Amino acid sequence: MESLISYVVNVISLGGTYALLALGLAVVFSVLGLINFAHGELMTLTGYVLLAGILMGQPFWLAVLIAVIAGGVSAALMEFAAFRPVRNASGATLLMTSFAVSMLLQVIFQNGISPRGQAVPVPAWLTTSISVGVSQISKVQIMSITVGLVALIFLKFFFDRSYWGWAIKAAANDFEIVGLMGIKASRLITFAFLLSGLLAGIAGVLWVVQRGSVDPLMGFKPVLAAFIVAVIGGLGSLTGAVFGGFILSSIEIALQTWLPANVMPYREAITYTIVVLILSVFPNGIFGKRVQEKV
Amino acid sequence: MSKTLLSTTDLSVSYGAVKAVRGSNLVVKEGEVIALLGPNGAGKSSTLRALVGLIKSQGRIEFDGQDISNLPTERVVSMGLSLVPEGRRLFTNLTVRENLLLGAPRNAKVGDLFDDLLQRLPILKERLGQISGTLSGGEQQQVAVARALMSKPKLLLIDEPSLGLAPTIVDSVYQLLNDLKKTGLAMIIVEQEVMRVLKFADRAYAMSTGEVALEGSSEQLRNSDEIRKVYLGGA
Repeated sequence: MESLISYVVNVISLGGTYALLALGLAVVFSVLGLINFAHGELMTLTGYVLLAGILMGQPFWLAVLIAVIAGGVSAALMEFAAFRPVRNASGATLLMTSFAVSMLLQVIFQNGISPRGQAVPVPAWLTTSISVGVSQISKVQIMSITVGLVALIFLKFFFDRSYWGWAIKAAANDFEIVGLMGIKASRLITFAFLLSGLLAGIAGVLWVVQRGSVDPLMGFKPVLAAFIVAVIGGLGSLTGAVFGGFILSSIEIALQTWLPANVMPYREAITYTIVVLILSVFPNGIFGKRVQEKV
Repeated sequence: MSKTLLSTTDLSVSYGAVKAVRGSNLVVKEGEVIALLGPNGAGKSSTLRALVGLIKSQGRIEFDGQDISNLPTERVVSMGLSLVPEGRRLFTNLTVRENLLLGAPRNAKVGDLFDDLLQRLPILKERLGQISGTLSGGEQQQVAVARALMSKPKLLLIDEPSLGLAPTIVDSVYQLLNDLKKTGLAMIIVEQEVMRVLKFADRAYAMSTGEVALEGSSEQLRNSDEIRKVYLGGA
């Protein structure tokens, strides 16, 4: 029972973060057909801004707010500086550009700040746990679950009720026709990057607060996981990104919790084998649409 | 004599080395319905796509007294040119209401227009909350036309309105177009069902391999031997 409660808590907490990251990737993929591998560096950047805010003596909530906004603004700037000049180039060019931006930012973090991890002092009240029955749940996890779920509920309303939410969903469905609705493509793309950066920012704060540190390569692993999540869910599908997040987290946490110690080194290999099996049943992802191209 | 709403001068469209449209000259007057005919690959859809800026073109396009050649699509749409694309191209993951509201200009007060559309197309009223991908082909075509009307166009371009629809459904689509014609809305209709559209349109252009091969009143084209030969398989 105890391990089951902690399993559920861990799945929701990690799954929420994956879902936010994968949604960020999916939103940009919707409008540009690009998987932005520099998304992870937006997380890292958010972590450094959070650290700077705390070190400068800002209240924790304000440091978090500034960090998340910094994620959004940086993503919009990234679009303007790196992706806009190559917007009409091939998908491969866009992908290479995203790798270049990713590496450039990593090098800037390594040389400009430090190649080593920096401890991020989290307020003392977040480091305690509360008891749920026989289980102990840390307040960081409670915060992570709350923020993740609130953000997902907010996004659900955003995509269901707002003009820009519909526009992004419409772009995911048929980008060319969005222009016929009188919507300026470049404005929609900038907006998608801004939203994606804010999501990376929220995920970044949750990630850093759970780990208690930030380092230049911090964003790589979670963005790789988010990419897998987006593929499992169906690239470009926003619902798929959320479901994919929870599917991957339930696989990862299950293996981490119940795998015998001598098999533990193979954990990631087993995770990805399961992912491959899922994709062999759903080649376009669980919520993906069949890809059809008119030649 | 009514005013010229749209004119093209030497309009050409190329896809790499392939020329889809070669120097076509079209004129649409206010309130006029034009049929654009031609076999597959004649350049009809490319013409419509060039008019709304979905593809680059050479030559000059003048709409409502202004040069709109190669303007971005959203600018052209805001000036009063709207396209119902081939295959309808609804956002099939959105509801009918969301499709329609996206068609309206941002921040526009759409209440009256919405009511007017629902009166014209009562079927939509029951379908507003339905995901548009689950509608029948005929209903989708009606939503596609309604969505294009949300931007209050002065000229509506319609690409193959009867494509893939059963004859009785095509009747209802043309009924809708006829209602719009009565309101004085100018239209260009690309259509494979030649005789039907020639009964409906005021004038027609017949394209062949990217060029305008024939033009005239619908009646003239209905009685033209060349049109009969090409479309009806005999003289």
